[in-house]
Amino acid sequence: MLLVLVILSILMFLIYNLIPNNRAYTDARNDMVTMKNMLKGKSEAEKEAFFQQRYEEYQRLYGTDTDNQAVRYLRWIGLAPNYYGKYDGLLQGNFGYSYELKDEVVNVIKEPMKNTIFINIFATILALGITIPLGIKLAVKKGSRLDQTVQVLTLLGYSLPAFLICIVFIWIFCSVLGWFPPSGMKTPGTNYTPGSWIWFKDRMYYMALPLITMTFCSLGGMTRYVRASMIDALGMDCIRTARAKGVNEKVVIYSHAWRNALIPIVTLVVGWFLGIFGGSLMFEQVFGINGMGKLMIQALRTADSDVIVLLQMFYVFVSLLGNLIIDLVYGLVDPRIRVSA
Amino acid sequence: MNKKKGFFATIGGWFKRAFFGGSNTMAKEMEEDPSKHVEEIVTPFKQIMRGFFERKIAVGAIIVVILMFLLAFIGPLCMPKYYHSYTEITQKNVPPTMSMMRVPNELKNDIKMIDSFGSFTVGLSNAGKVYVWGSTKIGTTGVDLKDIPQEIRDAKIEFVAAGIDHAVAIDDQGKVHCWGYSKLGQYGYFDPAQYPNILSEPDELLNGTIDVANIKKVTCGYQCTAILMNDGSYYLWGNKNVYQNIENFTALRQLEDIDFSLNYIVGITDGNSIYTGKRGLYDQYRANIGEKTLPAREFLKGRKIIAVYTTSNNVCGELEDGSVFFTGDFASNSLPMPALHENERFVTLCSGTYHYTGLTTEGRVLSWGGNVLDQCETPKDLSGTTRIYAGAFQSYAVNDNNELVGKWGLKGYLFGTDSYGANIFQRIIQGGKMTMTIGAVAVIISTLIGIIIGCLSGYFGGQVDILLMRVTEIVSAIPFLPFALILTSVMAQSDISENNKILILMVILGVLTWPGLARMVRGQVLAARENEYVTAAKAMGVKEGVIAFKHILPNIISIILVSLTLDFAGCMLTESSLSYLGFGVTYPRPTWGNMLNGANNLTIIKNFWWQWVFTSIFLAITCICINIVGDTLRDVMDPKSDRDK
Repeated sequence: MLLVLVILSILMFLIYNLIPNNRAYTDARNDMVTMKNMLKGKSEAEKEAFFQQRYEEYQRLYGTDTDNQAVRYLRWIGLAPNYYGKYDGLLQGNFGYSYELKDEVVNVIKEPMKNTIFINIFATILALGITIPLGIKLAVKKGSRLDQTVQVLTLLGYSLPAFLICIVFIWIFCSVLGWFPPSGMKTPGTNYTPGSWIWFKDRMYYMALPLITMTFCSLGGMTRYVRASMIDALGMDCIRTARAKGVNEKVVIYSHAWRNALIPIVTLVVGWFLGIFGGSLMFEQVFGINGMGKLMIQALRTADSDVIVLLQMFYVFVSLLGNLIIDLVYGLVDPRIRVSA
Repeated sequence: MNKKKGFFATIGGWFKRAFFGGSNTMAKEMEEDPSKHVEEIVTPFKQIMRGFFERKIAVGAIIVVILMFLLAFIGPLCMPKYYHSYTEITQKNVPPTMSMMRVPNELKNDIKMIDSFGSFTVGLSNAGKVYVWGSTKIGTTGVDLKDIPQEIRDAKIEFVAAGIDHAVAIDDQGKVHCWGYSKLGQYGYFDPAQYPNILSEPDELLNGTIDVANIKKVTCGYQCTAILMNDGSYYLWGNKNVYQNIENFTALRQLEDIDFSLNYIVGITDGNSIYTGKRGLYDQYRANIGEKTLPAREFLKGRKIIAVYTTSNNVCGELEDGSVFFTGDFASNSLPMPALHENERFVTLCSGTYHYTGLTTEGRVLSWGGNVLDQCETPKDLSGTTRIYAGAFQSYAVNDNNELVGKWGLKGYLFGTDSYGANIFQRIIQGGKMTMTIGAVAVIISTLIGIIIGCLSGYFGGQVDILLMRVTEIVSAIPFLPFALILTSVMAQSDISENNKILILMVILGVLTWPGLARMVRGQVLAARENEYVTAAKAMGVKEGVIAFKHILPNIISIILVSLTLDFAGCMLTESSLSYLGFGVTYPRPTWGNMLNGANNLTIIKNFWWQWVFTSIFLAITCICINIVGDTLRDVMDPKSDRDK
């Protein structure tokens, strides 16, 4: 786990270096502009010398004054001191500065992060609330007409790209029915106090369509998976025994079978919960939600490297966290693993 | 060379064994000898095929997939004129229609004149009745040219002309009628103080009449109109933003001829040069397209220009001795003017948006110039033609009895055009080729990596397994979409050729998608490792690597095939998503993803539905069918699923 983290951080450092930017150079140039008055009347050579001096200073400050990539990596992480003997890396909470938005990256991603987590968790709850009962029902009534219809629908759901479903839903709900606004976060011109009822109502009105679409997109794969693992579980010997003993059918399904079906489902649910964070990128872009995905695309377009790296770190972190959760939850749902561990 | 052949033979052998069974001779023996006959022996392949063809949906799906493949890989061969960066400003956002050349039946035997500039055409019968056909709805304006005003229906019309979004008709009383879109100065009164960029329709036309018998020519450009009289006076009005040299023309008194190219008004003042009001424009003449240019004076040698015919960006001039010359820029794919016979001269000339059509003294009808939309595919039999008319991309030949002899050119667009004016149907086919190629190559890369890593890790176990599974874990821990976005955007900023970018994109997709398959192969190999045949191979002293790749791998190839199918759809979807977001493959190269890029606002989704509906349908159907095939294969191959039935 730790190894994975280290290797991923190296990968991210590589990405950081891949993005063409030279922070020291930019800052030194900016200094030249701000100190125009001071530099007035000086010769070109003097100006050049001054620039070189500033440039070197900034390079030392940002730890890029060496060509040794290993040292630069350690400085970036915060494990090696920079020229001035100061530790100033990711571990010290220095996440960088966004040149596009003229603010510390940490401040930049605060609001989008809230939005992204909000819609993702909301959509997850909605999707789970629908897929699990539906999947169980389909598994129990396998081969029925309902089952066949839903099978076809779920095939649609997981074969279609998310953006296509977005377009179709926008067309249906915004253009044909006119129920929801196509994009945005709040009614333009309004300024409700956050937390009030009217604010919440307005927000939900704008969030409804993205949430519906996100939920719909995740229905397909999830329902199929729940159904498949439920069918497997219902085929087990213990179920036959339980039925033979005359246990109530409901108890058989929800207690005996469901418990056994849960193990593969948990893996999927967590993995899919992580996927949804990456996937919400698409929804945020299409629906104009001020989330991390939209910020990421914006940063990529403007090559705002610090923002990109921090966002990427967020995604990696979420994904690692998910792996950890999978391991922990395994223990919860499957007692055998706890024993062996 | 030898080694390579060996490699393919090996792969072929695997497939053979997977599909036709390992030991054919034994199977045959058993079939021939009744005493040994126990049960019908079916090879795994046959069993899978049987199971597969029992399912009608799967058979339908595989047919659709094959059709899509054929369409995407053979279709482009049938479109030699297609190129990626094709744009056509006068054909933007045209809805699906095939009616652009459909002359109304009542008009067919009574043609007086035909004119068009954009996506619709106006025709006039000798009875004075106006007909409109083609794509008559103008963008999002809500204007439909088919709604001809009542006053025009009632009047006996003598002249008609069509612009990009308006049309003009002059009746026998000399009253000038206009209809269509008018907000940008196409017609009607505009106060010069309020609208400095519009040259308003003259008062005498708005409120009075002109002398019909004296009209020499009525012509429309892009939101601009000119009426030229026999005495050389003329009326000119329209949008100054489109024709910036309109001011130069308002200062003139006399004109011999006037016509509109896409950006300039072109006229003849004294016959010694082509007048545009801009120095250096259209002053190098040539006798034919593709020939060397000469300065105007040297070329003319005192001959006078009597008429001009303009296309979008070049001009054909007619001289008093009956010969013609060309000036302006020609696209490299323009057809040159066919050679005329001795003493043959043009009787009539007319010009479309890119092509010229001429009728010669010998009765021959010739078309040349831009041929991208088949404007120059002249029909064989046009005998009896005495008049010709050119639409924007069409030509019409009419005989002495005013009957339509022949028509050729652009019929329309099956799936409409996009916001650049390109044919969506052609782009869908080309885009399908790109999308499928990327998906296929990416999935092959990922499968190769997955098989190698899965086999090694599963067969050797121990340290190798742990190491490889850590690598797999790391790769699968990378959040896919954000990471692919970063890589593609880094790639887009670097300075490499377009083809290499696409190649790298395939590699990126392939390298990020292998962990799932690797895990699956590992699991299968782990299970297969315990089989007796492996023990037997080990006992015979077969090398470990050979056992893993030659003995175990062929036994799990069916599972790999299923995952190949499903991953193929997945890679196609990923590529589409990336391209849709504006990363991945970018315009002008079409893929099914970036063709939907425009459909991200309500205006397009609602008004220009054809720009996303057809592409979506193709993408959706292909992905769904591939998934159905993959799912069915998995069901058929999995003996457990039979029990469930």
